[in-house]
This record gives sequence, C-alpha cells and structure tokens, in this order.
Amino acid sequence: MYLALARMGFQRQLAYRTANLAGLATNSFFGLLRAYVLIALYGARPSVAGYSLPAAITYTALSQALIAYIAIWSWWDIIRTFRTGEIATDLSRPCDYFRYWFAQDVGRAAAQLLLRGLPLIALYAVFYRIVIPATLLQVLALLFSLALALLVSFSWRFLVSLAGFWVGDATGVGRMAWTVATFLSGQIMPLAMFPAWATGVLRATPWAAMINTPVEVYLGLVRGPHLLAALAVQAAWAIALIAFGRLLLRAGVGHLAVQGG
Amino acid sequence: MRSLRLYLRLVGVCVRSQMQYKASFLTDLAGTLFGNAITFLSLAAVFARFGSVGGWRLGEVAFLYGLVEMGFATMDMVFSGYDPGYFSQLVRRGQFDQMLLRPVALPLQVLSSEFTLRRLGRFAQGLIVFLLAVRLAGIHWTVAKLLYLPVVFGSVVAFFGSLFWIGSTTCFWTVEALEAINIFTYGGTEMLAYPMHIYDDWLRYLFTYVIPASLVVYYPALYFLGKPDPFGLPRALSFLAPVAGAAMLLLANAFWRFGVRHYQGTGT
Repeated sequence: MYLALARMGFQRQLAYRTANLAGLATNSFFGLLRAYVLIALYGARPSVAGYSLPAAITYTALSQALIAYIAIWSWWDIIRTFRTGEIATDLSRPCDYFRYWFAQDVGRAAAQLLLRGLPLIALYAVFYRIVIPATLLQVLALLFSLALALLVSFSWRFLVSLAGFWVGDATGVGRMAWTVATFLSGQIMPLAMFPAWATGVLRATPWAAMINTPVEVYLGLVRGPHLLAALAVQAAWAIALIAFGRLLLRAGVGHLAVQGG
Repeated sequence: MRSLRLYLRLVGVCVRSQMQYKASFLTDLAGTLFGNAITFLSLAAVFARFGSVGGWRLGEVAFLYGLVEMGFATMDMVFSGYDPGYFSQLVRRGQFDQMLLRPVALPLQVLSSEFTLRRLGRFAQGLIVFLLAVRLAGIHWTVAKLLYLPVVFGSVVAFFGSLFWIGSTTCFWTVEALEAINIFTYGGTEMLAYPMHIYDDWLRYLFTYVIPASLVVYYPALYFLGKPDPFGLPRALSFLAPVAGAAMLLLANAFWRFGVRHYQGTGT
C-alpha cells in the first residue's frame, strides 16, 4: 500500500509540467547568479576552504538541484490539513500516519529529483566544467547520503507541521522554520566557508544533513573515516527526529481529541 | 483627489483587518525580519573571508543590497494586489469580474484590495543593512545626493512594481500566475544586490537594455559611492533611474490596458 502512495506522490508531480519547467528555469537562474558571485569572490584564488573553483561552481548547481528534492521551502501538505479538517480523516486511516505521509513524500522527492535535479546538473555540465563523482564508492555513498537527507528533511518538516495541533494554523511557524533550514543547511553558501568557529557547529546540525552533507559527499570533500562519520551524523539525526516526531504526534493526537470534545 | 481618499480608505480597511490578529501579525513580522537578517548575515560572514567582490568592499555591496531590499519590500507591500500569485486568484474566483462592473479605476481597485503589512519586516531588514552600509562605505554626502536618494528609491519601487503589474496582466491569458516572472522579480533582487560587472555581457545587457534594472540600482549606486563605471559609459547613466522607472510603469500600464481589453472572463 505504501508503494501505491509513493507512486501517487510521484504521478502528482508529473501533472504539473509547466510548473516544473518554470521551477527548473528559476533554480538554474539562481544557481547561475550564485556561480557568478563565487567566481568574483574567488578572483585569483585557486581554492577556498577545500573548495576548488570548479567544486564551488558545482556546489551552486547541487544546492539548487536539491531544493525541490528535499522541499526545503514551502511544504504545506500537512499544515494545510489542519485548516481543512482533513487531519481527522488522515489520522483515522488504517495505516501509520508517519508512513502514510513519508511514502507520498518519497514519490514526490523522486519525481523532483528526476524533473528538476538531474536536468539542472546536466544543464550546468553544458556551460561549466563541473565536478563529477569519480569512483563507484563515491556514487554509492552519494545515493546513501541523498536517501538519508530526504529522511532527515521529511522528519523535520513532519515535526514542524505538527505544531498545528497546538496553534491551529502553523503557517507562520512553518515559514520561520523553512527560513532557518535554508540558512543552516548550507543552501545559501557552503558551510565550510563560514568562519571556522561556526563551521564546526553548523556541520553537526540536522539542517546540514539535508544539503551540505550530500554536497560534500558528491564533491568528495569528505573521505574515508570522515565520510563514515558524516553519514553516521545524518543517520543519527534521522532516527532522533523520527522518534521525536512520533512522540509529538502522540501528544498532539491526545490534544486534538480533547479539543474535539 | 477623490480616488486618493478612496484608496487610502480601502487600504486602511486592509491594514485594520490585519491588525485584528495582532499576535499573529507581530510574529509574522518578527519572522520575516529574522529570516531576512539571517540570510544577510550568512552572506556577510562568507564575504568577510574574501574581503571583496569584484573590487567592491562589503559595505559597498551592502549598499546595493539594502537599497534593493528596501525598494522591493515597499513595492511588495504597495503592489500586493498585483502580486501575480494573488492576482491570479482574483481572476480565478471571479472577483476581478466584479471589479470590472464598478465605476472606479481598475488599478485603484486592485491595488486597494490587498496590502500585505507583513512586508514591513523585510523593509526593516533592508533599512538596517542600508544604514550599516552607509557607515561602512563612508559615503561623501552632498545635498544633491540626499535629494536624489528618495528619487532612486521611488524608481526601484516603480521598476519592480511594473514587473508585478506585467506578470499579473499575463494572467488574463494563462489564468495561473506564470512562475517565469519570478526570475525577473525575485531573481532581479538577487542579481541587483551585486555589482553588475561580475556578470557576463549577455546577462548585463539583458538587465540594462532590455529590462532597465541596472539603471535603477547599479548606476545610481556608482554615483552615491563615487565609483567610476568599469565600462566607461557616460556618467549621465547614473541619473536615468527616474526615467527608467517611469518608462517601465508606462509600459506596464499600456500592456495592462491591452490585457483588460482582451480579457474574456474565466467562466466563474
């Protein structure tokens, strides 16, 4: 059944063809602007904070390509159901509430990766000399890291959306949460380029696990034991956020029942 | 005069209705301010490592950024009715068809139908960055510069407002808002926040000669910061901001009239 839900989520994205095309154009344009800025910032420097110039340019492609995949902004699917009252139906479905949404999100994310992620990288490859993962191990690590990134991102969005149990309309909470995630995930600038004291802290957060980690895995900036550690941090956040989300869900459902009297 | 009074009255209604939910409004405001400030801080933190962008110091880039943010936020509030996302809803729900029946100018009705006060958060952020930039860049103020600053600000508002207006007009044909306009509006704010000479020729030409974006931000900024044009174009270009802003508004208005004449309704 969860497979059917995932397929549904996938097909829903295919229906919005022009929106996907426009999204791809917008992501590419923003990526391009960031690339110009980084090229200007680098000037004559060959490498900054471990990023060579081609790696930095590839970073601008990846950070844009992942936006739609992990839905870092404007994910209102659950928040909306509090307003429409669908939350009550969804909760009483004969399946696990978390998995019900996660299955759909996997479908959504897969479609976005195919429609907006890969074409963007391909487009970049035409205009720039971008970095491509060199070894099979790197590709496997990347796939693993991408899967974990989605798991962390979904659990985080799930957690934020549950605020709806207490505040009713969680749009404001969501808006603030998505902004924080954008900034802390390394979507705006590579976390490695922040002042040294900040980089260490930022790398360990769940938000870094959404964009910064898969990007660094792709670029081969983390290797060997560091690669394992990076993946372990992602996995740890996935487990922690899922556990917390489930706890909060239980508390929220109790709260909702009281309200409904 | 009568239409101005009407406009102020209707906008007053919008503002008062948003103030009904004071707590929600204030958290929204704080959230926007915080979100935008954090984005700027993260850019500034990275810039500090590099020292300069294409020969411009942080304070000088912040001047561009602050100016664009203030102008765009003001526009986003005043032109809320022409936000393509909002306007397409007016068309879809048939509310625009009702407006066609009222004996009041259409732009006035659209502009007064929505006034998103929340944008003040973004404006405040832009203002803080701008004031900081003025200190950091060490601008040599003259009376002429002080007089020209509000003109440039108004031109930025007019420029982005025209883009919103044009984007909304396309809804007459497409009903759904065209996301492509975002490249020029939100993409424009991003692009104009950096000195134009870091971009390739085609991009710079597009945003100078096809869409006069650099005339309302970059060239005036050269004058305020006392910098020469790296391409050696005449200094007079710095003073074309109001011309560019007005031309864009006229163009948008003409396109809008054309669109209204061809609008057939959506059947709602």
